[in-house]
Amino acid sequence: MTNHHLVLLPILLPLTASAVALLLRRRPRVQAAWALCAMVTSLAFSLLLLLQVWRGQQAVVFQTGGWAAPWGISLVGDYLSVTLVVMSQIVLSMGILYALGSNDSVVKYPGFYPLFLTLATGLSGALLTGDLFNLFVFAELMVFSGTILTACSDDRYGTEAAFKYFYISLVGSTSLLLGVGCLYVSYGATNMASLASGIMADPQKPLVPLAIAFLMTTFMIKSAVVPFHFWQPDFHTAAPTPVHAVLSSVVVKLGLYGFMRMTSLLFLAQADTVRGILLVTGIIGVFYGGLGATGTYDAKRMLAYSTIGQIGFILVALGWGTPLAMMAAIVFAFNHSLIKSAMLMLAGTVASRARVKTAAFQAITGLGKYMPFTGLLFLIGGLALAGVPPTNGFISKLVLFRSGIEAEQYTALLLIGLASILTLVYIVRAFQAIWWQPPAPEALVKPAGDRLLAPALLIGTVLVLGLWPEPLIRLAEITAAWLGSPDGYIHAVLGG
Amino acid sequence: MTDWGLVLIPAMCLVGLTGSVLLAVPPLNLRLPVRRAGWLLSLFPAGSSVLILSRLPSLSAVSPQSFKLDWIPSLGLTAGLYFDHLSALFGLLITGIGTLVVIYAGYYFDQSASSRSTISPWREWRFLAFLFLFMAAMVTVVMAGDVLTLFISWELTSVASFLLIGYRQQDQAARQGAFKSLLITGAGGVALLLGLLVLSSVTGSGEFAHILTAGDLVRSSPLYLLALALVALGAFTKSAQFPFHIWLPDAMGAPTPASAYLHSATMVKAGIFLLARLNPVLGFTDEWFWLLTAVGGITMLTGASAGFRQNDLKALLAYSTISQLGVLIMLIGQDTEIAFKALVISILAHALYKSALFMLVGIVDHATGTRDLRRLGGLVRTMPIAFLATGVAAMSMAGLPPLFGFLAKETLLATATHPNVPPLANVVLPATTVIAGALILAQAGVVVWDSFLGRPRDQSLHPHRPPAFMCLVATVPAVLSLTIGLLPEPEPIASFLANAAAAVYGSKVKVSLALWNGITVPLLLSAVAVCSGMVLFVLRHPLRERLSRTDPRWSANTLYRWSVGLIDGSAFVATRLQGGKLRTYMATVILGMLALVFGFGDLAQWHWETPLTLPTLDTTGEIVVLRIFALLVVVTGAAATIGLPRDFWAVVALGSSGMAVAILMVLEPAPDVALVQLVADILTVVILVLALARLPRSQRQRANDLMFLQSRASLVRDSLIAVAAGAVVALVTLVGLTSRPRTSAVTPYYEDTAKVLAGTKDIVGAILVDYRALDTLIEIAVFGLAGLGVYTLLRHASVKAGDHNESDATDRQSIAGAQDVFGIAGAETSSFVHALAYVSLPLAMVIGLVHIMYGHDQPGDGFTAGVIISLAIGFWYVVFGFRQVRRQLTWLRSAPLIATGLLLAIASGTAAACHTGSFLGHVDWGEVIGISLPRGFALSTSFLFEVAICLTVLGSASYILDTLGRPGATEHESAGK
Repeated sequence: MTNHHLVLLPILLPLTASAVALLLRRRPRVQAAWALCAMVTSLAFSLLLLLQVWRGQQAVVFQTGGWAAPWGISLVGDYLSVTLVVMSQIVLSMGILYALGSNDSVVKYPGFYPLFLTLATGLSGALLTGDLFNLFVFAELMVFSGTILTACSDDRYGTEAAFKYFYISLVGSTSLLLGVGCLYVSYGATNMASLASGIMADPQKPLVPLAIAFLMTTFMIKSAVVPFHFWQPDFHTAAPTPVHAVLSSVVVKLGLYGFMRMTSLLFLAQADTVRGILLVTGIIGVFYGGLGATGTYDAKRMLAYSTIGQIGFILVALGWGTPLAMMAAIVFAFNHSLIKSAMLMLAGTVASRARVKTAAFQAITGLGKYMPFTGLLFLIGGLALAGVPPTNGFISKLVLFRSGIEAEQYTALLLIGLASILTLVYIVRAFQAIWWQPPAPEALVKPAGDRLLAPALLIGTVLVLGLWPEPLIRLAEITAAWLGSPDGYIHAVLGG
Repeated sequence: MTDWGLVLIPAMCLVGLTGSVLLAVPPLNLRLPVRRAGWLLSLFPAGSSVLILSRLPSLSAVSPQSFKLDWIPSLGLTAGLYFDHLSALFGLLITGIGTLVVIYAGYYFDQSASSRSTISPWREWRFLAFLFLFMAAMVTVVMAGDVLTLFISWELTSVASFLLIGYRQQDQAARQGAFKSLLITGAGGVALLLGLLVLSSVTGSGEFAHILTAGDLVRSSPLYLLALALVALGAFTKSAQFPFHIWLPDAMGAPTPASAYLHSATMVKAGIFLLARLNPVLGFTDEWFWLLTAVGGITMLTGASAGFRQNDLKALLAYSTISQLGVLIMLIGQDTEIAFKALVISILAHALYKSALFMLVGIVDHATGTRDLRRLGGLVRTMPIAFLATGVAAMSMAGLPPLFGFLAKETLLATATHPNVPPLANVVLPATTVIAGALILAQAGVVVWDSFLGRPRDQSLHPHRPPAFMCLVATVPAVLSLTIGLLPEPEPIASFLANAAAAVYGSKVKVSLALWNGITVPLLLSAVAVCSGMVLFVLRHPLRERLSRTDPRWSANTLYRWSVGLIDGSAFVATRLQGGKLRTYMATVILGMLALVFGFGDLAQWHWETPLTLPTLDTTGEIVVLRIFALLVVVTGAAATIGLPRDFWAVVALGSSGMAVAILMVLEPAPDVALVQLVADILTVVILVLALARLPRSQRQRANDLMFLQSRASLVRDSLIAVAAGAVVALVTLVGLTSRPRTSAVTPYYEDTAKVLAGTKDIVGAILVDYRALDTLIEIAVFGLAGLGVYTLLRHASVKAGDHNESDATDRQSIAGAQDVFGIAGAETSSFVHALAYVSLPLAMVIGLVHIMYGHDQPGDGFTAGVIISLAIGFWYVVFGFRQVRRQLTWLRSAPLIATGLLLAIASGTAAACHTGSFLGHVDWGEVIGISLPRGFALSTSFLFEVAICLTVLGSASYILDTLGRPGATEHESAGK
């Protein structure tokens, strides 16, 4: 049995760092620097982990406590989870970097960095764990961290939004617990690999369909899929900018990860039904998110709605479910995380210059005059969101469309093509409102706002991945191929 | 095959981009005026032109030059360039006119700077940078070697166009024009991408070198129509074809150099280029013919007639551009040899005269400050050179000999009257062409006559003389159209155009540039067009007056407004769905869950067929009474929480329900779980009661009232949803209990190994701190967060929200100075109670310690230990009050306790990793070090873990107690009364 502690580090480092940061609560500068160091180190280790998975061409499995697979908890770093962990940790690091240069009062709250780091722990853990119950626990950690972080946001609706999120998340957690319970009762395990092999052997147990329904509910709530999305625009908009950047880009991907595992590992027999639902909800989401973003009054809220739409695109790809479509889903998810987090940081930067910190268009119209460089970044990011080359957003759209053509899904393609025009509408309108319209005569602008380093780095990556997408595509391709053979996963975890 | 030299052609333009940014750096932009910068920067497009020209002699008509790069090898996608005569023709137009436009732009902006009183650094580098960005992209479009390169640069031209149209940002019309153009071309871009991808999926490759040879394959494919429709949509939007032409007139808000360059000479021809490029693949079918002919014809007429109405010179030229673009699209649709001859000639002729006219209009605009035909006139006196150039260019536009435009019109008419044109079209086509020709001729006349000749209509205009070089630059294309027309027989040009046409046609095309071909049908038609055009020109005043008064009620703009309105309307509806009420949100989410459950569960299938064996109550033995009693308490307690009107009683009922569950667990027997349930239940009740105590009575009453303050229908709805959700959970439990296997897959292993490997008889304890220690580690982190969360919400967030006026800064003062609120119901407690409290805490600690040390073999663990100590502390808070507790229990500091707990757990796990090679592995350190310990106690990782759990729980609970026991809020309440 291979026992690789490397899989543990992306979880353990942020958790340890969070505890230490809690002790450093009276030294805010040290605490912030510590949090950044820890997160970047953790990112470095997840990259190392990715390298190891790539080199070894197989999952890196760690059985905690040395207890073999079905009995203990397995942490599984396979292509999918490690890719997503790297994606998350890039954005999380950038989130902390942004927080360091932010003028919000929330980042000066002593609990901010510890909570941010537990959020990171929860996310990495939920992705890396090979055990459904353990996933529940990590998801709880994320829910708590996210709720508290938003509750103490500078936004005056923070507490209310956090409250809503917490309650809806409770439904999600209950549902996950019910789903895990159904599976445990039926197959006597919570380890995903042993569940998968159990379900493969006997997929007709009476509680399996219910388990699928419960798990789908959970993951749909996690990824804010219409009609489980209601918490998302309220919650994300009210969250502090660095947290919003993380929530709206990587945290919402957890549900998608769940769907990938469901359709490619756990429920192969029922995968087609699941995919059908994902396709339909995805198309609805693409339109709903696009329209919501067009109709809303606030730049951050617009980007939150936009996430519903972009998640919709990924769901459509998952719904097609061909290897090429899975690859498209991974590429899309990865790229969207970078773009969306950058865009949110830029919106936050603009908001931080408004007299009273807000991203409402009413207040920020014309403010762009004082920040041309932010405008350039926003334009590039916005075009990336709309899938205009030479950005990575275009690459996402390209592989998505290609996979649709290969799957001969022309109706769905035309629909999402139509909906993708909505992205252009709201992004261009926002850009014009902030950067082109003259400011209102009474508008005041603060001399300094949040720093641009983090979003600039992210936009740089957006461009690099747009011009040279080969590494990401290659990784996604291998991942999709890996997902196509669940035996590899089961074998790696259970051994033998 | 890979010819890196080709990359130089677009690269030169990119260098120009860098150059324009560099020249704007502060010391330089003062020294170097913008007109010099224009001259300097024009070297780059000129260089590109030279590069293209130098390649012409070696360019063979059959084998194009190409460049290929493996861009995304995993997907087999390449990026490349493909250079044939068609690319060369377009490339020369782009770089040639580009050179002139850059010089012209220098003067254009210099002139606008002249109105500024002081010498200031020029700020137009952004304009030049966008212009060069466009140029590089456009050159790449026409040289694209594969569909992706084409599409990427295609979209970049749209973006550059957007930036240039919106260059005058303060102008609302410019902003809206920019938005409109990007929306329409962007939407077309999506269609184009899909179309190109379909095309490359049909042919199996994205490279033009391959696609162009696969025409038969494509035409016979079932996807042909889809590909054609999508590609055509992309081309039509970009090339301003009806009904997508509406963005082009609105794009005239751009500075004139951009209009001259992008919106007449080059970018709008991208669609023409694309369809021309793909003609060998998609063309030669009926659908192609009718689609292109119809759309092109309608566009030609729409543009020509709408242009005749315009008073703004730029708008007039924009509409005539639309008309000309329609002509080009129509020509491509014909698929006859003469059509392609007409195509290449028209492209060249139009680019020359239209760019000249735009630049001249820009000069007029700057000299007089207006482009309104109703105000201009008599400008010939101030700007004779401009007049001459305008005259020549306008004659070319009107298609009069001996200009190049005449040739273009002749070949166009020859195409329209070609015998291959099918019936119906062979009447309509020549007729529309003649009508459009007449209208365009009249417009050309209007441009020259009404702005340069006659009397100035507006005496307030004081035109100044434009810079000579600026006029000269604008004259160059006009002169070119004259010389090409006049040269006896320009053989090199003719053969070059013939090769370009051949690339479109797919086989050889003969091009002669002779103006006189004898008296033919086209010539006669041309004469008809000229005569009727003359008539229109003479009658222009009454006609234009009339036309401009009749405002068409329905136009393509209406369609645009409707679409945008539709988007905005549905967007409004979409945002309204997000009502903000948690009740609705929850109802929808739970309904969604139920829908999934019923959809997936397929309940009818299995539920009724397999008879469920209802679990029977074990009625033997005497404890059955207790069991039934406990069950009754569970149910009534839970039901009472809903029914009881006072929140305090509801909390108590909930607590009793939980207690009864604990009893049931004891009877199971599961003492471990029961103990945890018991202490957790007590803690919950204590916390809830403390929290309630903090809320003012009136507020609690209001919350209670509000809960039932809603319509009966929604109460029924919510109840139904709740009952349905409850029923589903009950069903799941029932099925779970009856269908589960007798023995779990994991339990036997735990039973076998617990003693040996985890050092305990108690498998629940072993699962918690050994087998699934990671769960516990994260759970205690969650528990710690819960405490931190309560603290944050009540102490930090509520302060932010303005609920209380206290803040962290005054924390210590409030501790020191706060009036203590303690005692039961506000009454001072007796010294007996004090003594009880003093005893209870150490006692609780001892119990906790025992739980931790021996919990591994008996019921009890770190969690219960932590909760028991916390309960004792809670008792202290009640008895002694907040201040006293904080003063006496100095060690009780929440955050360090939580952090220490977590770090201890992690450290213990890491130490185990060093010893056994597994994080969170089981090590009995007492055994390892070899110290003797009391019986039943082992200094193992399990013990350390239990301590860690206890610390974290204690920290979290003290956070909560500390927050809830703080006097601030009560004080506030009394102050508020």
